[in-house]
Amino acid sequence: MAFKDLREFIEALEKEKQLVRVKREVDWNLEAGAIIRRAYELEERATLFEKVKDAPGVRMMGGPIGTYSRMALAMGMSADTSVKEIANEFDRRVSNPIKPMLVSKGPCKENILKGDDIDLFKFGAPMAHDGDGGRYISTWAFITTRDLEDTGWVNWGMYRQMIHTKNTLGGLILPGQDIGRMYQKYEKANKPMPFATVIGADPLATVGGSLSAGPGECEADLAGGLRKEPIEMVKCETVDLEVPAHAELIIEGHVLPKVRVEEGPFGEYTGFRTSPRAPRPVYEVTCITHRNNPILTVSNMGTPVDEADIVMTLCWRNEAMRAVKSLPVVEVAMPAYGSGHMVVVSVERAYSGVAIHVANAIWGSKLGYLVPFVVVVDKDVDVHNLGEVVHAISTKCHPVRGVHSRPNTPGHALMPFLDFEERLWGRAANLLLDCTWPVGWDPNIEIPPKASFGNIFPKEIQEKVVANWENYGF
Amino acid sequence: MAKEYDTFVDDISTLKEGEEITIAVRETDIYKTRVVKAIVSSSKEKLPEGEVMWMRYNRGYLRPEPWFIKINQDVPGLLGKKAIGDN
Repeated sequence: MAFKDLREFIEALEKEKQLVRVKREVDWNLEAGAIIRRAYELEERATLFEKVKDAPGVRMMGGPIGTYSRMALAMGMSADTSVKEIANEFDRRVSNPIKPMLVSKGPCKENILKGDDIDLFKFGAPMAHDGDGGRYISTWAFITTRDLEDTGWVNWGMYRQMIHTKNTLGGLILPGQDIGRMYQKYEKANKPMPFATVIGADPLATVGGSLSAGPGECEADLAGGLRKEPIEMVKCETVDLEVPAHAELIIEGHVLPKVRVEEGPFGEYTGFRTSPRAPRPVYEVTCITHRNNPILTVSNMGTPVDEADIVMTLCWRNEAMRAVKSLPVVEVAMPAYGSGHMVVVSVERAYSGVAIHVANAIWGSKLGYLVPFVVVVDKDVDVHNLGEVVHAISTKCHPVRGVHSRPNTPGHALMPFLDFEERLWGRAANLLLDCTWPVGWDPNIEIPPKASFGNIFPKEIQEKVVANWENYGF
Repeated sequence: MAKEYDTFVDDISTLKEGEEITIAVRETDIYKTRVVKAIVSSSKEKLPEGEVMWMRYNRGYLRPEPWFIKINQDVPGLLGKKAIGDN
């Protein structure tokens, strides 16, 4: 059974010794962020800060899904489940969407703040990294918006939000994102776009916010599939949107049309604070609802591995799998250390140019502006094993014939390798590393045998060595 | 404790010293954005009644020496800017 809310998940993490309860007061100004960041880098447990400076009654949870173990636990799987098993189970569940269920009330309505009672600074939002453009209240949260046209399309997406004032937020909205496509329609009509930010929903609902269902489809259904049961939703107070009833904190309002105010910079999922402070859209808040003693969930993104790397491994991999499903593909992985920029695909050597075919399919999908690096390997390489992938790149990819670079592709402002002008307009470049043996190479004459235990010794010798392994003194 | 402020700018020559300008600053105690009409100066001697205003590059790096700001009045709302690029 799925976790009903974040609090049940916290209990489960505690039982599994995957959570540290911090009872002493922690400062929202850099201290909390530094603790969360160091915890990722030490592959430590999640943190629950019980006392946050200047935010009485508010708790903060850092790194809720910061390891694959916690992702597995969120899915009701064992903490030691392999990345491959998690990814495959993730795909199975997402393939069976379940629509949300509307209910009349929920704990997210325990407190309703409007008018002068709205004060975004009351919730302990962290100054996550030194030099960030402000306090980011939405780092592990999702924003829901509705299509301006009467299509029924409701989007969930994970987008950052920085506090400007007690009732305004700023954020980066990219035109390639679903929210960006919706916002363009509202701006064209000069209408404010209603939004609701959902903070501290149950863990899989939040992960669902990172999925990319695409135009016309709702991530809420995919999140239901992930949970294997529908998400209970309640109506918002001031906008025509619905939000998970058991979430900790809901921020409602409108994204203003044709208004830009400087926002950022922010230490982002790529591991760098890439995009400078720049004029970006403004969210005007009309209502905040929250549970008693709400828990602000925080992902302090940066160098791998943190929540972003883990959910991209799963959500964007799912998108890549769908993009290549008609091709002779064996397995797909997005290495966590690739920061969402790299997909690795193993293939059957079915025909000449299969690697280019695979790369084109991925770049032709929604991932086209997100994933500039595609690595294609033969099927004997375990794409989930970064060591094997690096070995394939450095031994099988011809430095000229195996490298296919494409200029003038779509990208986005957060790509660290782009120059200033390229970032402004989202102009990037792509690279395919073809690490497959050419189809024309004769297996007996031209393809070098792989000198691994499982490949270069006769089966009977392998069996003998394995059977006597301890007798040798190992 | 005296209030301190900061603002983001790559090219400090774009900040006119000694004359009233409209500028968005952050109060560094809670990091609230405030739009003000103010006099700014790189020198405490030239603006003795000024409060400390730290300067950050647009990518967040802090300049080692602060400037100073004398706020004349608040301007309601936020400081709108023209969109740059496609974000």
